Amino acid sequence: MASMDTLSRELMLDSLRNYAKKNLTHEFLKEMDDKNEFPTEILKQMYDQSILGVHLLLIPKEYGGISGGTFDVYRICEVLAKIDLGIATGVFATFLGTDPLSVGGTDDQKEKWMTRIAKENLLVAYAATEADAGSDLVNLRTRAEHVLKNGELIGYKLTGNKQWISNGGVADVYSVLATAPGGPSWFMVEKGTEGFSPNKHEDKHGIRLSNTAGLSFDDAFIPKETLIGEVEGHGLLQAQAVFGYTRVMVAAFGLGCGWEALEVAIRYSQQRIQGGGPLSDKQGYTHKLIVPHAVDLEAARAYIEEISERLDSGEKGLQTEGAIAKYAATESGNETAEDAIQALGGYGYTKDFSVEKIKRDVKIACIYEGTNEVMEMTIFRGCWQEHLKTRGQHYITMADEMDSLHLQTPEVGADSAALALRALAAIMEESRNQRLTRHQYLTFKLGKLISFAELAFIFARRSAADRYTETIKFDRNVWQAMSRVYAKKAALRIAVEGVALVLGAAEKDTNLAESVNTDKIQALQKGLISDMDLIASKLKDTFKAK
Amino acid sequence: MHIAVCVKQVPDSTEIKIDMETGTLIRAGVPSILNPYDHFALQKAIELKKAHNCKLTVISMGPPQAKAVVQMGLALGADDGVLLSDRAFAGSDTWATSYIISKAIRKIGKIDIILCGMQAIDGDTAQVGPGIAQHLAMPQVTFCEDIKIDGKKIIVRKLIDGGYEIIEAQSPALFTMIMEKDFEPRYPAFLDIHNSLDKPYHQWSMDDIGAEEQYIGLKGSPTQVDRIYPPPAREKAEMISGGVNEAVEKIVDIFEKENFLKI
Repeated sequence: MASMDTLSRELMLDSLRNYAKKNLTHEFLKEMDDKNEFPTEILKQMYDQSILGVHLLLIPKEYGGISGGTFDVYRICEVLAKIDLGIATGVFATFLGTDPLSVGGTDDQKEKWMTRIAKENLLVAYAATEADAGSDLVNLRTRAEHVLKNGELIGYKLTGNKQWISNGGVADVYSVLATAPGGPSWFMVEKGTEGFSPNKHEDKHGIRLSNTAGLSFDDAFIPKETLIGEVEGHGLLQAQAVFGYTRVMVAAFGLGCGWEALEVAIRYSQQRIQGGGPLSDKQGYTHKLIVPHAVDLEAARAYIEEISERLDSGEKGLQTEGAIAKYAATESGNETAEDAIQALGGYGYTKDFSVEKIKRDVKIACIYEGTNEVMEMTIFRGCWQEHLKTRGQHYITMADEMDSLHLQTPEVGADSAALALRALAAIMEESRNQRLTRHQYLTFKLGKLISFAELAFIFARRSAADRYTETIKFDRNVWQAMSRVYAKKAALRIAVEGVALVLGAAEKDTNLAESVNTDKIQALQKGLISDMDLIASKLKDTFKAK
Repeated sequence: MHIAVCVKQVPDSTEIKIDMETGTLIRAGVPSILNPYDHFALQKAIELKKAHNCKLTVISMGPPQAKAVVQMGLALGADDGVLLSDRAFAGSDTWATSYIISKAIRKIGKIDIILCGMQAIDGDTAQVGPGIAQHLAMPQVTFCEDIKIDGKKIIVRKLIDGGYEIIEAQSPALFTMIMEKDFEPRYPAFLDIHNSLDKPYHQWSMDDIGAEEQYIGLKGSPTQVDRIYPPPAREKAEMISGGVNEAVEKIVDIFEKENFLKI
C-alpha cells in the first residue's frame, strides 16, 4: 500500500502530539507506570474515530480505514514511542493482530473483521508466542481440533497456552496461531468465548502501560469461519510474510525512544553548568554521550525510510532488510537511553525525569518481534546468501557505487562507506574460504558488522539525494556530517572487529589485515572531531533548553 | 449563509528562540502551526455551520506548504478551501495581504460572514482583518469573543475596556475574533484528515484572482521593515514600601536622583 501525502501525514502526527500533550502528561504516565496499569480509556479514545482513530491507519479504505502505508506507520510509531512505548505497544498489537487477516483473510473475513475493528474501536491482540515457541514457531503446542456435526466440519476446539501477549488481558478480539490437523493456522477468537480466558497482567521491567498477559484455551469452541483464509496450514507463511514491515514498526520504536531520551539530554546539557560552562560545550560530554547516538539514530532513520519506501512501492518480503532496520534502530535506541541517564547524572537515575522510564521501556524493543540475536542470525543468513550467489561480488558492487557517489558528492563519507563494504566483502570471503561460518558466534557478529555496512551505504546515498527526508529537524550539512561520521565508524569497526573475528576462528594463516585496507580506513578518520563539533553545536541550536 | 474564515500558518512562537547576536529568529526545528486566534475563529465558524447549516470556506495565503492549515480547516469541517499562493505575493505587508485576500473573496462571490483571528502571533499587527473589510467596503467588528446568528441578525460579544459590548450586525460583515479564556483547540481525527482530501481545494495565483501587480508583494507594500530586534532586557524593578506620604517622598527622591524632573 502506498503511503499518503506528507501534509496529511503531518496533520495526523500533529493531532497525535496535541492529544498526548493534553492527556498523556509526564505525571500521568509516571502514575500509570508506578501502578502497572493499562490506561484502557486512553486507548479507547485513541481508537475513537471522532478523537483520533489511530488504528485506522492499517485498515483499508473499503473497510472504513485510511489505507496507510509503511512510511506512514513508521512515522506514527516513532511519534507514539516518543510519547510512551507502552501505549505504542498497545496500538502496535492491534496493527499486528490484523496482519494475518490482511495477508491471508478471505474477502468476506476482511469485510467482517476489518469493518468491526474500524467502527467499533476494537482492541486486537496477536497471539503467536508460547512458552517454547517464540521466533521458532514450529514448536507451537496450541492445538485446533476439528469439531464435526453429522460428519461435517462445523468448527474447532482450541487447547493450549499463549504467553507474553500484548493487549492479552484487554483485547476485544485475538488472532491466535494454533496447529490444526492441516498444519499451523490463524483463527479469530472473540473475548468471552467459552473455554478461553486471559491470565494475569505481567509485572514487567518496562512498558508497564502496555497490558501483557498469557492466554489459556481449554476446549474453546470457535466456528469454522474463524479460520483465516479458510484453508489450514498457511499460518507460518502468513506470519512470516509481514516481518519486513512489522520489524520496521519496532525499528521506529527504537528511533522514537532513542530520540526522546537524547532530546532530554541535549536540553539538560545546556542548563547544567560544570567547571564554568554548560555541559553542552564540553567535548568529553557531547562526543561521548550525545553525538554518537544522534549519528547512529539518524543512520537507522535513513535505513528505515529506505525500506519503508521500498515496501510502499510494492516490494514484498524484505525480511532481511526489516531485521537490519529493527536491529540497528533498537540497539541504538537502547544505548542512547542508557547514556541519557548518564548524561543527566543523578537526576537521570530518578523517576522524576523521563529518561529512567524510557530506558526501562526501550529494552523491550531489543526483545520482542524477534530478539536482536535472532536479528543478527537473520541478517547474516540473508546477506550470506547474497555473498554466495554473487560469488563474493555483492558488497564489492555496492562499494563501487559508493566510489562513484564519492566522486559526485564528496561530502557524505561515501569513500569510507566504500572501504567498509570492501572490508566486509573480504572478511566474508575469508570466512567462506576457511569455512568459518560453522562458528555460530562468528555468524552473529557478522550480522552486526553487515548492519553497519548496510546503514553506511544507505545513509551516504540518502544524505546525498536532493530531497533527503521530511523528518529531520536540522539542516543538510549536519545530516551529511552525520553520514561521514557513521561511515568512518562503520569502516573502522568492520575492519578491526571483522579481522579479529576471523583471526580468532581461523586455523590457517591469513593476510586479511592487508586486504581490508586498515591503513586507508584509519587515514580517512581525518576530520572526525570537527564533524562531531559541528553536530554537537547544531544539536544544541535545534533542541534548545526550555 | 456562506461563511469564510481566514487562517494563517505561523511558526510556533512558544518554540522560537532569538539569536541575540544577529537579532534574527532561529527557525531551525520550529514547527508551523495554525495561528491560535484563527484556530478559535475556525472553531466558531464550524459551530455556526453546524447550527445553521451554513457553507464554510477556509482561506489562507502563504507558500505552498501553508496548504496544511487549509487542509486542517477542511478536516475540522469546512466545505471547501482556498490557498492564495504565488511568488508575486512574497513580501506583502498587511495592506497588500488584505488586498489579495479581498480579491479572492470577491472571486468566491457572495459571502455573508467573514471571520478572522484578531491577529497572528508572528507579526501581531491585527491589521489584516480590518484591511480586508476596508477593501471590500464591508462593516466590521473587531475583538469579538463570541458570535451567534439569530435570524438575519449576527450578534457578537466584543471585548472593550473594562467589559463587553453586545453588538448586532447585518450581513455581510467581517468579525475579528479574540480567544475565549478557556478555549481548547480541537485537532482533526485521522479519518477526517484522510477524507478532507476529497473536498474541493483550490490554489489561486495573482492572475486567478485578478490582483494587480502594483498592489501586491514588496512593490505594493507601503510598510517597510527596517529591522527586527529583541527588546533590551529590563533592569530590575525596585519595590517601594511604606505609607503613601513616605512612598511619594521616596519616588520624588528617585526622580530627582535620576534627573526625571528636569524642566
